[in-house]
Amino acid sequence: MILLRMLLYLVISLVTLFLVILLGQRGAWYFAWVLGTVMIVLIAAAGGALLDAQEEAKQSGQ
Amino acid sequence: MHSLQTVVDLSRWQFAATALYHFLFVPLTLGLSFLLAAMETVYVTTGRKIYKDMALFWGKLFAINFALGVATGLTMEFQFGTNWSQYSRFVGDVFGAPLAIEGLMAFFLESTFVGLMFFGWDRMSRGKHLLVTYMVALGSNLSALWILVANGFMQSPREAVFNPVTMRLELTSFADLIFSGDAQAKFVHTSIAGYVTAAMFVAGISGWYMLRNRHMELAKRSFRMAALFGVFASIGVISLGDALGFIDGGAQPAKLVAMEAMWKTRTPPAGFNVIAFPSQKQQRNLYEIQIPKLLTPLVTRTMDTVIPGADEVENQAMVRMKDGIPAVLALKTLSADPTNQPALAQFKAHEQDMGYALLLKRYAPDLRAATPADYQRAARAVIPNVAVIFWSFRVMVLAGFSMLFYLGVAAYCSLNNRVQDRRWLLKLAPWLIPAPFIACEAGWLVAEMGRQPWTVYGVLPTWMSVSTHSVGYLVFSLTGFVLIYSAFIVVEAYLMLKFIRKGPDEGRLAAPLH
Repeated sequence: MILLRMLLYLVISLVTLFLVILLGQRGAWYFAWVLGTVMIVLIAAAGGALLDAQEEAKQSGQ
Repeated sequence: MHSLQTVVDLSRWQFAATALYHFLFVPLTLGLSFLLAAMETVYVTTGRKIYKDMALFWGKLFAINFALGVATGLTMEFQFGTNWSQYSRFVGDVFGAPLAIEGLMAFFLESTFVGLMFFGWDRMSRGKHLLVTYMVALGSNLSALWILVANGFMQSPREAVFNPVTMRLELTSFADLIFSGDAQAKFVHTSIAGYVTAAMFVAGISGWYMLRNRHMELAKRSFRMAALFGVFASIGVISLGDALGFIDGGAQPAKLVAMEAMWKTRTPPAGFNVIAFPSQKQQRNLYEIQIPKLLTPLVTRTMDTVIPGADEVENQAMVRMKDGIPAVLALKTLSADPTNQPALAQFKAHEQDMGYALLLKRYAPDLRAATPADYQRAARAVIPNVAVIFWSFRVMVLAGFSMLFYLGVAAYCSLNNRVQDRRWLLKLAPWLIPAPFIACEAGWLVAEMGRQPWTVYGVLPTWMSVSTHSVGYLVFSLTGFVLIYSAFIVVEAYLMLKFIRKGPDEGRLAAPLH
């Protein structure tokens, strides 16, 4: 199981490196799309989680 | 001649109608898939069921939109063969591969994972389902990538050469095709425009719920996530719009003329027409309001580069028409004798301007007998419909900045937990749902009408690209498409409104946090 996970992470890192080298050099806008999309999705997700934290803080403060 | 023009016009109307209908569904699919992924990411990482409920509810609306999007997209691929067979024969070697990959992406990758996403909630672990949702989002966007790569080639065909023996354009580098500046900017601009569409859609419906104090837990979270998702996407879409304008402005000066209603070449730095009422016939603006010195730095990133106006573009076109005539004449010889070396040499010497001579052929079937009046008419045709493009561009830009402003305020108020107090913000949200759709449609009008009179810019004129259908056949099929697609829109609107009014399944919703 551990070996499988290691292999999975290895593949992910290789794909990432490939994307960085290939897209970074020839496809700057594609690379920006990959980075930007990940960032936008994570910021939206963090916004949701932050709302939960704000609601909980409000609740505990009451 | 009259009949040919009618066939060309009707073929264009048919493709434009189906494309514009189709693109009412596409942007929401592109963006909502990633927004669903964001919601599910919070569910998987925090374990809070409300986020699963959010993913299920918005997923239901996604499913309605997705199904109709696929249905309306199917016919477009076939239209290349049915209505644009000359175009397909001419550029098939270049256009075929991206179109085939697009079909494979849409039907195999995207549709397979969509099935797993909808029916796999109780059959897969949370992590696996999340992975599936990301694959749906990736598949949807990659599917769009390939058709936009193909479109990028039509806008700026640098990755192919015309083979005078086979009489077709042949691809020189597949990598160059994928990584062309136009394809890249167009894909990112279009994809992120979809994100903004989804953000406005989710924010609009969530705002409507909050105004009525319904489904508050789901609506507050959805509104917050949509506002954040949308505000960053809006910044991206405006940046990429600027990049695309820069690339297209360099590659297609006639499109730039139309976007800016610039009839005369001006001394740099040229002014930017905020408002103009262009007259195509008189080749001038009947009225204009201008911001001085703004256009040149916007379009060229310099203060002293000359931007050609319609007068200059038309003059250059006339020169290229004259220069292209020997290439077209050589093609005639080569079609009878492909080994004719003098004809081959003649073609090679003038091949850069072959497209312009083909354009002239529309007005002077015997190129050797072309009169100055024929040249003049063909040169005028190089400038696309200025009024439509000028105003479509401004509608798109205005809608884009309005959405950025709204989403910025919405994100700020939501982060401060003041959304419920800002009722005007919530009231405005549902009214802004059409804004991204209008912006997307206007953007496509600029891109496609701005490329006229070419299907492949500077190489293949539109008049030579159509099939030899009868007018009756085209009227019949166009009417059929409009009726069926209008019915699709009605079905989509009905189903969407039905499920939005019903709201998420209250019984299954998680209890509020407090």
